[in-house]
Amino acid sequence: MIGPGAPSASTWSADDGLHVDVRGMQAPQPMVLILQLVQQVGPDGVLIVHHDRDPLLLYPELVQIGWWAERIDGDPGEVRLRLAAAS
Amino acid sequence: MKPPARRLAGTFLAGAGGRLLPASLPWRFFGAAVVFHALAWLALLAGADDWTGWHGGLGWPLAALHLITLGTLLSCAIGASLQLLPVATRQPVRSQRLMAALWWAYVPGVALLALGMGRAEPHWVAAGAAAVLGALTVWGGLLGLNLRGARGMPGVVLHGWGALAALGLLGLSAIALVALWLGRPLLDAAAARGLHLLAAAFGVMGLLVFGLAYILLPMFALAPVPDERRQVASGATAIVAIALAMVAAFGVAPNALRLAAIVAGALALGLHLQLMRHTLAAGMRRDFGRALVLMRIGWGSLVLALMLALALVLGAPVETFGRLFGIAVIGGWLLSFLFGVLQRILPFLASMHAARGQKRPPTPSALTFDRPLAWHLGCHVAALGLLAAATVTAWPALAMAAALVGLAGALCFGIFFAVLMRRLQRARDGGNRPPS
Repeated sequence: MIGPGAPSASTWSADDGLHVDVRGMQAPQPMVLILQLVQQVGPDGVLIVHHDRDPLLLYPELVQIGWWAERIDGDPGEVRLRLAAAS
Repeated sequence: MKPPARRLAGTFLAGAGGRLLPASLPWRFFGAAVVFHALAWLALLAGADDWTGWHGGLGWPLAALHLITLGTLLSCAIGASLQLLPVATRQPVRSQRLMAALWWAYVPGVALLALGMGRAEPHWVAAGAAAVLGALTVWGGLLGLNLRGARGMPGVVLHGWGALAALGLLGLSAIALVALWLGRPLLDAAAARGLHLLAAAFGVMGLLVFGLAYILLPMFALAPVPDERRQVASGATAIVAIALAMVAAFGVAPNALRLAAIVAGALALGLHLQLMRHTLAAGMRRDFGRALVLMRIGWGSLVLALMLALALVLGAPVETFGRLFGIAVIGGWLLSFLFGVLQRILPFLASMHAARGQKRPPTPSALTFDRPLAWHLGCHVAALGLLAAATVTAWPALAMAAALVGLAGALCFGIFFAVLMRRLQRARDGGNRPPS
């Protein structure tokens, strides 16, 4: 659950996992929201992130909690990532 | 439908090259800062006998001060701003060759400047200052381009512009002081020194510390960005405070303006601390250990510095209180905050650099050798306490003890840094090794 004061962004569920669109948000809000959602979906879930830039600051945080990110195809100008627990 | 994964991009940081600098660029500034930090305590050791009677002139205490301010604090600010600002402000990294050249002008320049100050050689100081000011002009240009293109972040940008303006005044006052030592005074000595101290400690470094805290604290605490209107209010009030104190340095209604500057400074600090407290309270990570302890020491020291400044305005002896004020500002606030940030951000940056092209990059904690950081914290606090005691008692042996304990702390931080570099190198070698 996203706690009080967390930045707002659109989220939706699809067959391939929970999606979150953080485009246009100011750093480090996307990172905070993504990590909150990672907790929410749990180790068996998948989070698809729609970003407007490579979230460089996110990667060390993901590694630290045993997750990893994979770049997948997205819209032009979009950085789309598939986040899942490292197997 | 599941979109196909790009196999080429199936590793961490694939495609991130536009904003992640080659590791050698930011790390060379951090490495220089670690070395200069140790050299600063060595310079104080060399000048321990002079410490109690030092009045700001050439000598090893002045060299120690500049090895901390230019060598440690500003080296780190340059390294961090080169890497973090393009990431935070969503801009491409600009000329990498220029950044490399910046280091080659800045670091030898600081070394020559400090040596010239220690040995009381004004021409060496002038040559070192010329190299440093040239490098800072280039850095200021890069910083200005970054701030001009920044999207959003009005609070951070305001602090950045304030720091940039102060950098200009820092350069002008540095030229005036060097000219004075060369026997060609351009400005009244007290005014030049006052302007220089205010521009350097509060203008450049202080505003950068306040501004970067609005990026770093939410990042460390995993918290929302602090209220931007309050960031701007704090920054604007801090800039007013610095400007008032600068005018007072020229002898214009000095007591009234200094008092007004202290009030404005206290307001700015109050707003800033309130934002920091809210950030920590709202964060997913409310305690980040020793780094937060050092940051809190930093904030506490700034409160103490403002109280000492008030005592000075009210007539406390300049000899003792002025020096205690300097220790609280440079050592207590700026240096403590810096080492708090560094021990958190360096493993983070190392993990980012180690991640390039790897499927399983090392975690920041796996790259951290923690024990020397605990020793560093103890030594840092003890050294500042001993230096304050040396100031109050005018006993050079205490200044010598402060220098030795500070040096031990600097070496501990150096061990942490060296191990981090070795682990980063190993991680990168492992990632580049062809599969057997």
